[in-house]
Parts: sequence; C-alpha cells; structure tokens
Amino acid sequence: MSRIATTLIVCPGRGTYNKSELGYLARHHSQRKDMLATFEAERARLSQPSLQSLDGADRYSVATHTRGDNASLLIHACAMGDFQAIDRKRFEPVAVTGNSMGWYISLGCAQAAGLEGAARIVNTMGTFMQETLLGGQLVYPLVDENWQPVPGRRAQIIALMNEINESNDTQIGISIELGGMLVLAGNEQGLAAISARLPVIDRFPMTLANHAAFHTDLQRPVSERGLAELRAELFRKPTVPMIDGRGHIWQYATTDPRALQAYTLGAQVTQTYDFTRAIQTSVREFAPEKIIILGPGTTLGGAVAQSLIGINWQGLSSKKEFLERQESDPIILSMGRDDQRLLVV
Amino acid sequence: MAIDRAAHVHEQFLAKVAAEDLPASSGDVNLSQTGLSQTDLAQIYLSQMASRQLDRAARHLQQRGEGYYTIGSSGHEGNAAIAAALRPTDMAFLHYRDAAFQIQRATQMPGETPLWDMMLSFAASADDPISGGRHKVLGSKRLNIPPQTSTIASHLPKAVGAAFSIGLQRHVQPEFPVLPDDALIMCSFGDASANHSTSQGAFNTAGWTTYQGIDLPLLFVCEDNGIGISTRTPDNWIATSFRNRDGLEYMSCNGLNILDTYQTVSDAARYIRKHKKPVFLHMRCVRLYGHAGSDVQTAYMSKHEIEASEDNDPLLHGARLMLDADAMTANEILQSYQQLEDRIARISGEIITRPKLLTPGSVMASIVPPKREIAPTNHPSADDREILFGSDLKQMDKPQPMAKLLNWALADLMHEHEGIVMAGEDIGPKGGVYHVTAKLSQRFGPRRVINTLLDEQSILGLAIGLAQTGFLPIPEIQFLAYLHNAEDQLRGEAATLSFFSKGQYTNPMIIRIAGLAYQRGFGGHFHNDNSLAVLRDIPGLIIACPSNGRDAVQMMRECVRLAREEQRVIVFIEPIALYNMRDLHVPDDKAWTSLYEPPGKGDPVKLGDIGQFGKGTDLAILTYGNGTYLSRQAERVLSKSHKIKTRLVDLRWLAPLNEDAILKAIAPCRNVLIVDECRKTGSQSEALMALVMEGTKHKPGLARLTAEDSFIPLGKGATVSLPSKESIIQAALDLVGGERS
Repeated sequence: MSRIATTLIVCPGRGTYNKSELGYLARHHSQRKDMLATFEAERARLSQPSLQSLDGADRYSVATHTRGDNASLLIHACAMGDFQAIDRKRFEPVAVTGNSMGWYISLGCAQAAGLEGAARIVNTMGTFMQETLLGGQLVYPLVDENWQPVPGRRAQIIALMNEINESNDTQIGISIELGGMLVLAGNEQGLAAISARLPVIDRFPMTLANHAAFHTDLQRPVSERGLAELRAELFRKPTVPMIDGRGHIWQYATTDPRALQAYTLGAQVTQTYDFTRAIQTSVREFAPEKIIILGPGTTLGGAVAQSLIGINWQGLSSKKEFLERQESDPIILSMGRDDQRLLVV
Repeated sequence: MAIDRAAHVHEQFLAKVAAEDLPASSGDVNLSQTGLSQTDLAQIYLSQMASRQLDRAARHLQQRGEGYYTIGSSGHEGNAAIAAALRPTDMAFLHYRDAAFQIQRATQMPGETPLWDMMLSFAASADDPISGGRHKVLGSKRLNIPPQTSTIASHLPKAVGAAFSIGLQRHVQPEFPVLPDDALIMCSFGDASANHSTSQGAFNTAGWTTYQGIDLPLLFVCEDNGIGISTRTPDNWIATSFRNRDGLEYMSCNGLNILDTYQTVSDAARYIRKHKKPVFLHMRCVRLYGHAGSDVQTAYMSKHEIEASEDNDPLLHGARLMLDADAMTANEILQSYQQLEDRIARISGEIITRPKLLTPGSVMASIVPPKREIAPTNHPSADDREILFGSDLKQMDKPQPMAKLLNWALADLMHEHEGIVMAGEDIGPKGGVYHVTAKLSQRFGPRRVINTLLDEQSILGLAIGLAQTGFLPIPEIQFLAYLHNAEDQLRGEAATLSFFSKGQYTNPMIIRIAGLAYQRGFGGHFHNDNSLAVLRDIPGLIIACPSNGRDAVQMMRECVRLAREEQRVIVFIEPIALYNMRDLHVPDDKAWTSLYEPPGKGDPVKLGDIGQFGKGTDLAILTYGNGTYLSRQAERVLSKSHKIKTRLVDLRWLAPLNEDAILKAIAPCRNVLIVDECRKTGSQSEALMALVMEGTKHKPGLARLTAEDSFIPLGKGATVSLPSKESIIQAALDLVGGERS
C-alpha cells in the first residue's frame, strides 16, 4: 500500500475471547509491557487473577474465561494491544466504534479515557455485571445463509416479544442490533419463553454463557453502581471521533466528559445497543477506505459485513459479493485472523 | 479572470483564523447567559462549518459534472443556533439556505448522517433519504423537517396551518398524531420572499388568528441577507415593515453571532410556548458567493460591497466567539475545518457511485403516496344518528337533491371520523353559500367546522398543515374561480409533497369546490367558472365530479377512504347548478333526487367506477357533471323521437381517468359523442378525444360538444356558450346521421 488508508476501527465485545484465542496476549502483545502492567495493576487492585495468568492458562475454561470480571479486561487488553500494533504508516484511524463492551474499548482507543482509566471502566463494569448477573442473552438470525433479510422475521420476533412481555414476570427485549443477528436479552422466564417459541434454525436461538441482560433495563442497578463508582474525571475528550451504540458521534470539540460518562454508564448500559447503526453511521459519515476489527476473535466480521450490506455500502449486496470483495480488495481487516492481521501490523 | 469568491472566502477564513485576525465581538450576550456549555457552542459552530464545507463540496461536485445544486447556505449559518434553541419535535419548514439548521438538528438525534444525506441530495442520488433524488430539498422525516421548495414563500401558509393544528389537537384528536402539544412550528424564508403575496397572506392570517385569541405557536424566521438574487432589499425594510404588526411579536437577532441568535430564539420559543402566539424573528445575516454557482455578483454589486459581506463571514464571527469562550482554539478550529473538508471529500467519492433515478417509473414512484394502516371505524349507530340528525331523519325518507344528501354524508363522516376538520369561507353557522355544510358547525362545533378568513391560499395552507399533522381536512373553496389565486398551494405544495419526500410526508385531504356553470344567469364568470384545466395536469391528483346526489354521497365516502387509507389529495368538484336540482324531464318528476343511503348502505362508487345509463350501441355519450344531466334529457329525445339507442357514460372521476372502463363501455358503440361543459381548450374533452382515437380498434364515429372558449356572462347569455339539451341532440343527430348517410 503506497499511501495511508483512512480507517474505521471497530472494537470487539464480550464473547470474543474463546478457546482459539487462548494465549492471544502472549502471542501478540507480550512486548507491550507498560500497557500490560497498567492493566495488571487494575486486576491487582480488585485482587483478581492476572490477565497473563488467564491468557497463559493450560486450557480454556468457559467458566473462568467468559466470566464478566475476567473476560472484559482480558479482551480489552488484547484489543488495545491490537490497536497499538496497527501500522500507522499505512492506516490512519479516522473514527472508532465498537460493539457493546467494545464501546469501553473505543474510549481507550480514542483516548476518551486514559490507559488506566479505560481499564478501570472496563474491569469495573465487567465485574459489576458478573456480580449482579441479571438475566441473560441469546442470539437469533435475521438473515439467511446469503445474509439477506428473511422477510417477516424481525416482525415475527417483535410480535413474539410483545406477547411474552404482556406477562408480568417475563421480560425480553432487544439487547443488540448486531448486523444480521439480533441479540435478545431478558430475565430467565423471558428467555425461556422466547427460546421455546422461536423456530430452531441451526444452532439458534443460541444462549450466551455467562452473559447478562446487557443493554436492557434489567441492568439499571449495574448502571447506578457504575455511575457512583466511575467518576466523570475518568472521561476525556476523544482525540479520534467515536460513534456510539446509538450512532451518535462524539468529537473532540463537542464532547463534554460528563455527558460521555452519563451515556457510557447510563443509556449505553440500559438501552438497546445498535451496533448496526454504529457501523452504518461510521462508514457514511467518515467514508473510511478500510475497516479494521481489533482482536481477539473473529466473530464480529460477519456483523460488520452484514451492516454494510444492509446499506449496500460500496455496492455490496450479498455475502457472496462481500467475500469476492474481500478476496480482491479487502474492505474489512480482522486482526483476530492471522492472515488479515499480517496486512495490518 | 473573475475571482472565485467561494475560494476567496475559504482562503480568507484560513488566513484570518490562523492569524487570529477576527472581527470584533459582535454582541453583548455571553456564554453563561445562554445556558450553553462550551461544547454546546462548539457543536453549533461545527454544524456551521459543516454547512460551509458542504457548500464548497456542492460546487466541486458541480464542476465535476456530478452535482446539480449550488445554491448554498453560506452566510446564513446562524440558523444552526436557531436549531439549537428549538426541539426536534418543533416541525420546521425551512428556507433553502438552512443546511446548518438541519445539520445542527441532526446532532440532537443520535444516528443521523447529515453529511452523507446532503451530499446524496447534491448528486441527485436515488439514495437521498428525503427526496430519493427528485429534488435538492432540505428535509428529514426523523427530524421533523418536511421538504418543499421555499423559493417563493409558498411554504408559509402551511406553516400557519400546522401551527394552528397544535392548538387544535388539544381539543380535537387527530387520527394520526404527529406533534406533541408543546411543539411549535418554525418557518424560515428570505428577506426577498417576505414580500411575496403568499407570505404576506400568511403573516396576515397568523395575525388575524392570534388577534382572536386562537392558539398559534409559530416562529417565523426572516433570514435577511439584504438582497434577493440581484435586487436589494431597501435598508431597514424588514424591520420597518414587521416591527408593528398586530398579532406578530417582532424580535431581531444578529445571525452572525451564535450567542445572540441562540438567546433570542430561546426567548422567542419560550414566549411562543407560553403564550401560543406567533413571533416574527428577523435574523440579519449576509450572503456569500452570490445567489448560486452561476451568479456573477459583480454585475450588480460593487467589489466593496462583496468584500464587506465576506468580511462579515459568520464563520469568522464564530471563531471570535470560540476563542472568547475558550470553546476551541484557533488551531482546533482549523483542524476541525480541515477534517470536515477531508470527510466530505471522501463522502463525495462514495456518493457519486450511488444509484440515480434513470427510469420514468423510478422518478414517478412516489407521486402517489403509499397506503397506510388505519384502524377500523364503526359507522354511527342508529341511536347516534338519531341524536346527530334529530328532525332531519324524517326527511331522509324522501328523495332529496345533491346539496342535502352531501350535507348528511358529511355529517355522518364527521361523526365517524373525529379527525375530519372542515375549513372554508362561511361554512360555519351559515352552512356555506349553498348550505352543503348546514348545521355541521352546530353539530360538531367551530373547531371542526372552521370559518376562515377570505384568503384561499390560507385555506389550502391550513388544510396542508392540518393534514401534515395528522388531521383529515376537508377544506372548501367557495367558487371554482377562487381556486386560481391559491392554486400553487395545491399544485406546488400539496400535490408535490409525497413526490419530494419519497412518500414519507403526505397531506391527504379532500378539497371541496363548488363550481361549473348553468346557474340560470346569476353570478357571471366568477360563480360559473367552467374550466378544470388547472387541475387536470397535476400528477397524482384525484378529481371527483359527481353529477347527482347519490353518487356524490358514495363518492365523498370513497374520497374519505382514499384520503385516510391511501393518503391521496382529492379535489371534489360540486356542480353548483345541480346542488338543488330535483327534476330531470318534466316539472316535479323529482328524477334528479335520491333517497339518502346511510353509511354502509347502497352500492359504493369506488375510484374509477364510471356511471352508465342505457345499453344502446348507436351512440355513446361520454360526459360528467352538468353534461350528464343534460345528456340524460337529450337521451330521452334521441330514443323516443329519433330511435337512436344511447348509452351514457358518466365519468364521475376526471382524474385519473379509468381509461379501460371507458373504452370497454364504448366498445360496442358505433358512435361516441363527448359532451364537456368546460371550455373547448384545455377541457377533459381533449383527453377523451385522444383516448378514443388511440384506444379503440373499431374507430367509432367521434365528435365532441364543448363550451366555447369564453367566460360566462350574466343574464340570458349565461348559457349560450355552453352545451345544452338541444345542442347535444343536434350533435348526436349530426354524428349518427352522418354515419348513416
């Protein structure tokens, strides 16, 4: 590449550090000693297992590695390391966004929180969520195998949710708009009710282990604890524009750190996170040449691509076209994939 | 070579900000007085810069052959501060130089993509979210900015109507509510178009309304840059003209100063929301770059005048404010300005690849609005109708003429649909000049049967405003000839709204117009106008014209369905001469009266359903309105005295013409006579002649009988230039006889 490509940075959410990611930190970021030391200090502050011990474990444990108080900062560390690893001679970040917990990582990348502050926000919120572990999440597809919207599917899901919510003891809602997927969240009764009524398609509806009812009103206690614990002083003006889970753009001159704190720990926690809109707003308003998805994991690529297809970005209208484009002139570079990582670092 | 003023303004901005060589502070309002934070102020300024960079990009696109609009907002960026002081639920009818307003409002609604959207509109891309590439309009459904052209101030009457609806909806529930009760309406325009008779009418109507204590939460914003294309607005004209108008609270602000503008609009908005009265805000600003990309200002302005405006660039004044308020440094300003330029340049590269409208079908797709979901309603119960009609019920046992039947149909419809609001001159307690609205005011109250002032533009503006805010208006134009001074409200505004908004905004309504001739010598031209030409060519418009009372009832019900379900704009022409017509052939035969068919009863007359009388094949008569009545008389003579067997086709719906049904009806006939009471030139007969010529294989004998190209005089001459029973018989004989010979 002869010149610098304007780039959208996409930060990963929970659930991206899985079995194949074990050792990711060590493999890619062992040399980032200062960064890791900062993060480990945060772990020590709460007497939590170190990231390097989790990352260096003999084997991957769902029970351990997917816990909110472990996974959050572990993923953050991998992603921040990846962000630092991007070759700035070839890629210029012009905007940063993220999925769900990836919003906290966005704060770190855009320096809307310092290295230490961002770690604290991520780890604290992950820990609070684990401690409160209210409800859960499941995933269900809106698109077919060629990433085309299934006619009537969304309406069907919404109608089902409305019916289920008529009962006082069941709660279910949209947690995340995730490209071609919907992440639903609710209390146990709500999740059980909708799981029983959604038609089974392959492995869906798929329940996410150790996830709570993120981005719903059930998280209000977590939000309140967060607002009490994580003061506005941790937040700053972003040096790179950030696009949040509503598609709102946070820029240096116009960001009030108190407003950023209020959103990050308030609406962001308790209301639907629209990752699809975040991606679509990002590409339309910043028109980047490339999209880099930070590692760990490779699961976000589909959602990003589906979000692009949803607005026919650069003429992409199907999975097939997207894959062909990736072959010839990749638009998405996923650092969790070794082959694409090589194009970035 | 002439200096590129846009480039000059740009260069000057860069140099002066870098040197911090900025205009002196231009106002007394400081940040803390406004309640704005530094970041709020910076946001407004960024919106202004984005607007400026979009103007520049529009010109670049045009130079590359990729853009189609260069009338910019430069110099008017103060309207970003107006947006900041209002709420996204305050519906805004914007001046075409208000890009900064829309960009700023977009920041109040997360997920908006104003740069992308506006660039699409410059390139006339089908992806343009508001017009789908049909026009460069400001507008957004989500941001409550209905699109329109604002060049001739034709959007002011509907802004008055929309403001009126906000007060009304606290008493009458619209079926499709749009605005909260505490919303206000904002409407902006330039100093030049403030002189337009349409805007003057709107100011007068606003004053007339509020003078009577009726709620009208409305913010007029006159963006005064001192010039209209090349014609100067006289010094102080706007202030002098508007400072002392009854019913309009005059306020002024310096549009070059964000804080002054924000503070003044905040005060205005508070006043409007509290008192429900209109404010006329006079925002002084400048015009940069000339009128449009092609405008050479030096032809009519001195270099000194041009440079004086450029020295008052709002972005330079804004930079001064940013520095004084510590909201941004000079370096940050330049950086943000550059980043916006870079972003927009990248967006530009993307949007030129987006699809364009390339087929008639894609262009026309939104002329007819989309259908919408409606809740089922119940016809009034027998008990309800007894209360509603009282002693009138007894009259329903007897056949009645059109005016009476239509009156009852309207009453039943208003009872069934609370959102129906009627408006017109003298339609209230008087019941209209022909009593078609008799007792409706007493039955439904003055809020739903509005006696308007004498201004047809305001009546139609009221209807558009009501319709855009969820009511179902049935305005009345007292006489067809009075439509003409207001025609643009229909042609340029109501009929185009769906087209320019991709069907996102609609203004369904039924415009009742009493018209056509044959009033036995009374009234002359202005009460007997017999031309529908101004309506016939309006794309998407439905024209209904019943010839008898039963049809009128069923067609009015169909029109209400078309407006509610299909969001159509309909003109309902009521032939005055047939309002009280009872007899057809001989005195007291009452053959032109009908029994009233209560809601749900009788054969419906759906859009496009033609009426047919007789099955003869010697002759088909194609006609409507009074022509139907006269042709029925002629038919009897032709049949009895001349043995000519006729079938009479009453078009009922003049637009869209149901061509298939008409051709099918005349297919067995050897001759076709078109009887059109309207003037020969421009009348329906022209389309019908063409239809029969083009659409029939058997090529029947064809003739037409129309009114002469004349105005209608008083007295005995009133009908001599019109088709009559006798002239129809003669024309039929000429046609059929000619064929036989």
